[in-house]
Amino acid sequence: MEEKNKKIITPFLKGERVDLCPTNVENAERYALWINNPEGRLYARNPLPSSIEEIKKKYGPPGEGMPEEISFEIYHKKDKKPIGLTGFLHINWLNRNANLFINIGEVEYWGRGLAEEVAKLVIQYGFEELNFHKIFTSIFTPNERSLRVAKKIGFVYECTLKEEIFVNGKFVDREKFALFKYDWLNK
Amino acid sequence: MAETEQVKPIPFLRGERVDLVVPRLEWVDIRVRWVNNPKIRTYLRGPFPATKDNMKQRFERVREGGLGEWVGFVVYHKTDNKPIGEVGLSRINWFTGWANAYANIGETDYWNQNYATEAVELLLKYAFEELNLNKISGSVALPNKGSWSVAEKLNFRFEGSSKEDSFRDGEYLDVKHYCYLQKDWLIRKNEKN
Repeated sequence: MEEKNKKIITPFLKGERVDLCPTNVENAERYALWINNPEGRLYARNPLPSSIEEIKKKYGPPGEGMPEEISFEIYHKKDKKPIGLTGFLHINWLNRNANLFINIGEVEYWGRGLAEEVAKLVIQYGFEELNFHKIFTSIFTPNERSLRVAKKIGFVYECTLKEEIFVNGKFVDREKFALFKYDWLNK
Repeated sequence: MAETEQVKPIPFLRGERVDLVVPRLEWVDIRVRWVNNPKIRTYLRGPFPATKDNMKQRFERVREGGLGEWVGFVVYHKTDNKPIGEVGLSRINWFTGWANAYANIGETDYWNQNYATEAVELLLKYAFEELNLNKISGSVALPNKGSWSVAEKLNFRFEGSSKEDSFRDGEYLDVKHYCYLQKDWLIRKNEKN
């Protein structure tokens, strides 16, 4: 038991304030709190509840072949605890593009610029290790916080899909942003 | 019981006195106790006993992508720190935007204190403002005044009764049908703002 309480942290990507570690089903309860969080899930588009069992399955042993999703746990180095999830969704290995997602699950860590640090780590990994050509992200119009992060990082606005998703009783727009490998490397 | 109270709730929808939280495997025993309780099951699920395995099965049926036709929550008392009932949508039809609402305060100590009303109101907001459903229905046997008073307090529309649609304690019972439409919900929401 003693052994078990001494959590071994296995960073995969090292940052300044946070490291990105492999996901761990032992933390499924924590993930469930983040993924279902009423304040956080709205613009993350998690409109249905996710049980711990579903989350364990999602982050459990991977299937065969190249993954369509890659996730990391965001680990706060000073506070020594996981604070969220990040990674790529909808990976298309042929066209070499993927969708970036960031979920700072612990609400008290919002507004500290951590999402920006996380995004940079994941993007660098995407371009320099996974050899992606294009990374995209979508922002639902009233989500100012994510919009600021995307612009700061250098994402370029591509288009607006009108009234794409239903949030708080009305349809809102999806604004698509993209970042290309050559722009990232020439920064 | 003391042990189950330490199980952490995973909030999904926040209310004043109760949150609607994600059901947990650790609460299976409590839920089995609720649905088999003679006072509760009479109007709830008919004459068959519910086993622990029945309840557990729900957790094993992990949603495979897709939307599914059922969304269930546990009603969690925020200051007493314990689950007191269940609420949810069943038989969801994503094409017609229709679902059946159910609610059940399993802890009888919490009856007649408007907990079901608060929980169903949270459920309606979710159904209309997040899932974009058009119509939520609820059917209640006539003697089950507790349930139909919830529907009336929340301004459900009364659609009518069907004769001898249910059976309990040796007699056939009429069933009252209620519904809530998304447009009614949104009009009331705008009036409040």
